[in-house]
Amino acid sequence: MAGGEPGPGDEADGRAQGPSEPAGRAPAIRPFLLTAGRVAGGGAGPPLPVETQVVATSAGLAALRSLAFEQHDIVAACRRPQSVAELAAGLRLHLNVVRVLAEDLRAAGRLAVHVPNAGTTQDISVLRRVIDGLRAVPDSRDTLRDSG
Amino acid sequence: MVSVPSPTHGTHSVTAVEQPPVPVKLVIAGGFGVGKTTAVGSISEIRPLTTEAAITEVAAGVDDLSHTPGKTTTTVAMDFGCITIDPTLKLYLFGTPGQDRFGFMWDDVVEGALGGLVIVDTRRLDDCYAAVDYFEHKDIPFAVAVNAFDGEVHHNLDEVRWALDVSDHVPLIVFDARATGSVRDALLVVLEVALSRAEDTMTG
Repeated sequence: MAGGEPGPGDEADGRAQGPSEPAGRAPAIRPFLLTAGRVAGGGAGPPLPVETQVVATSAGLAALRSLAFEQHDIVAACRRPQSVAELAAGLRLHLNVVRVLAEDLRAAGRLAVHVPNAGTTQDISVLRRVIDGLRAVPDSRDTLRDSG
Repeated sequence: MVSVPSPTHGTHSVTAVEQPPVPVKLVIAGGFGVGKTTAVGSISEIRPLTTEAAITEVAAGVDDLSHTPGKTTTTVAMDFGCITIDPTLKLYLFGTPGQDRFGFMWDDVVEGALGGLVIVDTRRLDDCYAAVDYFEHKDIPFAVAVNAFDGEVHHNLDEVRWALDVSDHVPLIVFDARATGSVRDALLVVLEVALSRAEDTMTG
């Protein structure tokens, strides 16, 4: 694939001329820079399901000081296990950017990525546990605690 | 670009700091303003979070994108929440926009879901056709829930079932997206469908 092509921002939009609106365009280009133009899944497999749990490894936390920007933020946030979706929401990153970076960090041994087992949807014991757990939810919740 | 050979499993020799729960999810679908986020917020143990997922390809040529020729990707907000069932099991609830032009995103989110709840506003039945069709075609356990805005339902359920052409085996209920207990019960209906289907599969 041609995912490594440099400078996607240069040709992303013919209407953007020179430095007239660099600030406005940055959010659109930034995700490409973060992932070197790659999109989720990298063509090597399906993208990580949104509920995939990610958690920092001890090696990842030990290497935290050497990580920069979003990679640093992801590993730091993953001291507490959370889903890819929560991570994206908490760090205000695009879901697909988090997917790519999480796979990178896994490959580097800095994150453990627990892809859900596809058989879970048909697992009767899991379904029963979810049903029992949901039944225990009271008729009204008092106050929501803030996430994150 | 370097291609890193990655293992098919994620936890090989590295030591995770903490063992995460097994995640499962339900999808809450329906048109804009039908009460998806309200429903998620009524039962989630955290305030609903929002993430932006990509929609591409199927969105091409849609009116509101036609002003930016060549742009085939845009993003759409997806609200979600969660319920900790126990320390080893966590239920996520994902609210997805109901319009069929978001089909690409649905696959992305719905894959692996235990089931779906389609929320209906009887004043705008058209908005939920796509979601009903989607779950039927994907053969995903689901139920249809009429959101009783202000405690009022403007049609009787038989009329709604007929208008939506929902099969008899699909539960059709009335609920209040603002009430925790009501949302809980609606989700339980979906899970009972999923459970009975899993049991049928087991017994062949």
